[in-house]
Amino acid sequence: MATGNYGTVRPADVSVDDVEILYAYSPSRETLNTVELEFLDPTQVLLPANDPNSTTEVLGGMYTLKLPTAQFGNKGYYSIIIRPKQIRTTIVDCGVLVDMPDVKGLVFDISQVPSTDQNKFENGSLVGYRVEYLETDGSKIPNLYRIITSNNRALPISQPAGNNNATQAWSFNDNTTTTFCTLTPSSAPFVKPNAVPFIGNPLQDVIITNTYFDPVMLEVEMVEYDDETLAYALYSNQTKSLEDGVYTIYNFGNEIYKQYNIFEVKDQFTGKPLYEVREQKSIIDPTKDFDDITNF
Amino acid sequence: MDYLKIKRNLENYTVRNIPKRLITVNASGDTVVNTSSPNYYYGQIPEYKIDKEGFFILDSAGEKIPNTIDINIFITQEYDDMGIFTDMDFIPKQPPLSQPPNNFNPFLDGRIAGGPVDFYYTPPISVTGETDDSHLNYVKSLRVDSNGLPIYQPFLNVSKEDGQFDGVTDNNNQRVKYKLGADINNIGTTGVEFTTYHQEFVKSTNIVGEDVTWNKTTFKAVDGGWNSSNIDLYANVKEEEFLGIVFPPEISDDVFINRGVADIFERNAILSEIKTTDDLDNFRGGYLVSE
Repeated sequence: MATGNYGTVRPADVSVDDVEILYAYSPSRETLNTVELEFLDPTQVLLPANDPNSTTEVLGGMYTLKLPTAQFGNKGYYSIIIRPKQIRTTIVDCGVLVDMPDVKGLVFDISQVPSTDQNKFENGSLVGYRVEYLETDGSKIPNLYRIITSNNRALPISQPAGNNNATQAWSFNDNTTTTFCTLTPSSAPFVKPNAVPFIGNPLQDVIITNTYFDPVMLEVEMVEYDDETLAYALYSNQTKSLEDGVYTIYNFGNEIYKQYNIFEVKDQFTGKPLYEVREQKSIIDPTKDFDDITNF
Repeated sequence: MDYLKIKRNLENYTVRNIPKRLITVNASGDTVVNTSSPNYYYGQIPEYKIDKEGFFILDSAGEKIPNTIDINIFITQEYDDMGIFTDMDFIPKQPPLSQPPNNFNPFLDGRIAGGPVDFYYTPPISVTGETDDSHLNYVKSLRVDSNGLPIYQPFLNVSKEDGQFDGVTDNNNQRVKYKLGADINNIGTTGVEFTTYHQEFVKSTNIVGEDVTWNKTTFKAVDGGWNSSNIDLYANVKEEEFLGIVFPPEISDDVFINRGVADIFERNAILSEIKTTDDLDNFRGGYLVSE
């Protein structure tokens, strides 16, 4: 009997249909407002990379997050959470199998699941999914989860109420919309044979989440200046119009990056220079196009 | 959960171009920019991709292309084998489906309700390859020719199994064809067909470095893939006591009691009881086997 089970970390090739993306924006780190998260549509903003050997084969691991500038075009901090998609449903029953009374599990009604997710509840398709539990007031029970280890369509068979949460026994039968899920841990602990781990109660709301990838959180800091823009000021082309004092800094593509008015402030009576001023122009003077100026 | 910090400069997405046609000279000779034009984006980050003239770039369907800030990320999955499952009978859905659903993938979609087992069959395939000539000796007749070489008698059945044919099907100067495991009533399309060439040889080196030579031999097998002989439908159930057990128990004693794993801590608990190497041998009457 081998207990040396194996595991590995692999590049995820999850479908974007199994992903949820949320984000929150904060203009600065000092903002004290409550974090308000909003959803993004993963099918619109997450793009898997294809293997160079085949345009139809997902490379695995590498995904491109395409953040719309309409929502991510402000200076500040964007916290983006990429997590496995959650399915919310209700436990129909907690029971045991007729043929294996020691095997406890949860029963879900596939017809109560959103239609887009019903295919995930087919026999064996929920293996590896995580179940988290909600209180009756809708709050989430912290630090409590179970992992689904198998699921098969099953039909209840009436029997006297038994121990634990079981109200009836279940038998595998494909002519039904209910599916019986085994979970782990659900067996009695070695040291407390009478203590059965909680796996849920009938009519309890749960959150079922796939485990196709590990969640990722990104903090995207949107800035207005970086090394490149600072280099514009140091190394890029610049002009200073002697006629009107317009000082222009160009980017490396010779497009107008910044414009300033340069002038002196003098004493109105004596004419004595008091200040040299460089003031950023709010309206760009397009006549200071670098190519036009130097094309003589 | 991974936490990534990424910095993006908005300047890279900011328009710094003013289309020439938006720049005019008014009556007093001043240069004027039409900043109210829908094509004027200087200093802004447009919602959709635009060209140098400030017009939207359209995709092949004529739709505007959203302007995006692209970030490449790497997503991983941690995977652990949870061990063996138990096959259990189930009542199939009636009436069964006559056709698989669109885009049905038996490996991804699982055991769908109403799906008969033949939904999971794959088309029969023919497998060919090369092997050595070690099977040839098995199908020879007991007679020898004038040179003392064995005679390969076509359709002489050397199998000891009822209903099975093992023997030569064709023989000439170049090669001998023979079948193993064929149905005696359908020799032509069943069994594994071997062809050994009399005048062609393969030379190789075995694992101890010795030269070995054999007559070139090819094989051909039909009816490969998933079919009624190797798969069936069951409800796969995970018994928690087998969590983390990846192979069925190996019975090495006349009496074998499989206790399974009572809970997730038992394996660690067992190790805590082992103090000496003698404990390894004596624990639970030889429960642990060291080889």
